[in-house]
Amino acid sequence: MSQEARKTKAEQGFADQLEAAQETLPGTSDWALELRATGRHAYLSAGLPHRRVEEWKYTDLRTLVREAYPPAPTLGVALTGDDIAAVLGEHMAAIDAYRIVIVDGQLRTELSDMDALGTDGEINSLAEALDAPSAWVKDALGAVNPPESDPVAALNMALMTGGVAVRLADGACPDKALHIVHVHAAQTASHIATRNLLVIGERANATVIESYVATSQVPAQRSVVTEAAIGKGARLTHVKYQNEADETVHLSSWMMRLEAEATYAGFQFSTGAAVARNQAFVRFAGEGAVSHVNGAVMLRGKQHNDTTMVIDHAVPGCESREHFKAVIDDDARAINQCKAIVQPHAQKSDGHQMAQALLLSETAEFDSKPELEIFADDVVCGHGSTSGQVDDELLFYLRSRGIPEAQARALLVAAFVGEVVEKIEDEPVREALLGASRAWLGARELEQ
Amino acid sequence: MLEIKNLHVKIADEDTEILKGVDLTIPKGEVHAIMGPNGSGKSTLSYVIAGKEDYDVTKGSITWNGEDITGMEPDERAAAGIFLAFQYPIEIPGVATMTFLRTSLNAVRKARGEDELSTPDFMRVVREKAKELDIKDDKLKRPLNVGFSGGEKKRQEILQMSLLEPSLCVLDETDSGLDIDAVKIVSEGVNALRGPDRAMLVITHYQRLLNYIVPDKVHVLADGKIVRSGGKELALELEQSGYAGFGEAAA
Repeated sequence: MSQEARKTKAEQGFADQLEAAQETLPGTSDWALELRATGRHAYLSAGLPHRRVEEWKYTDLRTLVREAYPPAPTLGVALTGDDIAAVLGEHMAAIDAYRIVIVDGQLRTELSDMDALGTDGEINSLAEALDAPSAWVKDALGAVNPPESDPVAALNMALMTGGVAVRLADGACPDKALHIVHVHAAQTASHIATRNLLVIGERANATVIESYVATSQVPAQRSVVTEAAIGKGARLTHVKYQNEADETVHLSSWMMRLEAEATYAGFQFSTGAAVARNQAFVRFAGEGAVSHVNGAVMLRGKQHNDTTMVIDHAVPGCESREHFKAVIDDDARAINQCKAIVQPHAQKSDGHQMAQALLLSETAEFDSKPELEIFADDVVCGHGSTSGQVDDELLFYLRSRGIPEAQARALLVAAFVGEVVEKIEDEPVREALLGASRAWLGARELEQ
Repeated sequence: MLEIKNLHVKIADEDTEILKGVDLTIPKGEVHAIMGPNGSGKSTLSYVIAGKEDYDVTKGSITWNGEDITGMEPDERAAAGIFLAFQYPIEIPGVATMTFLRTSLNAVRKARGEDELSTPDFMRVVREKAKELDIKDDKLKRPLNVGFSGGEKKRQEILQMSLLEPSLCVLDETDSGLDIDAVKIVSEGVNALRGPDRAMLVITHYQRLLNYIVPDKVHVLADGKIVRSGGKELALELEQSGYAGFGEAAA
């Protein structure tokens, strides 16, 4: 037996959990049992990804995840609407949205606007959908844009406990955003696996926000998957806000599929957790679709944050843009891997990616790996990456205008992040994330 | 009053001396011009007055209203009333011009022990001054100087200057890159700020600007020293003869 094949303590822990959990997990339908079995087998055959797996070379989970935490207790922590607002923080809580609350992987209907969509669609508990799936859930769950091989997503499939399955009817335009708030509240170290499914009808237009926050300061292992099937001519604005306990490990995968003429505007804002992996898999399934996936991370201490994207131009005539910014202080490390694939027949593809880092200390690290795999000959694709410190010339300019050094620095960092946050078209969401980035800087005087 | 005495300046971390004993006195209410060939140290002098860290003062002093400013931070100098209008104003993506102006003005007011302006008062003052400089409202909403033309950037400098109400204005090649109409607008803005309590130092390579901002005195800086001083007619003489007598011909 090679050393590779020997399971680490954490790998074995998850394997044991897979055995033990089958009795307690929601999902009694044959369909759900089969999904779980598929996930289980995929995880068991691969184990936790490690540095010799190219996609995970900077984020070796065999080293970063030491043990497998047990599933979060299902007897939930009591929380009120005010608690939820408090844990979101003033900026995110200020967004006027329909709220769905999931605590330690369990949907809390009493805190959630389950009927928010009315005739525009439906919001279902994932756990209930696994027991008695509608046809549209069966068609989509686990099938929107599954990555070829991803043990982390597979483990989620095997262990997911809760989340929501949302369907938006053709042409529906809800009057407010849907804010799915995932709270970690467990007072013992826990593994929390959740999944959201978004099925967006043709020509529909919606904003969905996902927040990952914690009232608990004990560590958690979070496994997160969101799948979004975006119908022909539809538009989805999709924002993720992640700010969790210091020792948390956050492993997240977004899987999107865009039909013809669909527009996807994704944004990931990440400041919390010891280790975070934000994956986004986007596949164009119909011509003339547009996908913009942007993001900002702000890190300090020893935080490790890995953003990995795969954009698949599987059909001709689609546009993809990825703009990523990292502010890195202390010994923190940010990673950006972004792969754009242009399939042989996907002519007139237009793709561009940019990754930029602002290093605030001598020991901060940024690893950037752009990849283009282009098999068509009539395409426009490009990538760029920069990293640097706060510009002394800009700093001097601001200081010469009377702005003290610390404030000038904060202003420039806020500006660096602001440049990408400004791309969010939804104003309340944009303002909330600008506020969150200023809050990270702790520079209250910047609030004008 | 600005008093510069035997000022020696070198580039930090290098041995190259740029200013080699500058003596200059500008009383309140006067406008002095410094002219000189390229590389004579004009911009260095302006940066050293504003407190840029790239330079070391190795000898001599700069005093402003009797206080030695050489050890002061750039923001402290701004609070003390010193303002440098940059030759190449900086573009700052992500910082809206209005936000920047307000942060700057409030920082300076706070440091001077004055109250911060209320939002309506601030907006009114900015709009008023922007109008005088023919700066459109949409330019105030855009990120500072990003995508602005040379003339627009220089007008932003003068707008900042008029907002911060400095008592010492240093203008570094304010005319460079401007067409004649822009020079006129900028000069009018500068002239509006002339007053008995304000000293100005206008640095320029060409005499043209001095037709619009008429100086009380003209100094010639060459190879790091003031080599000649005179009245405004000295600028015209230089226009005729060039800087040939001051080292540039050799270059």
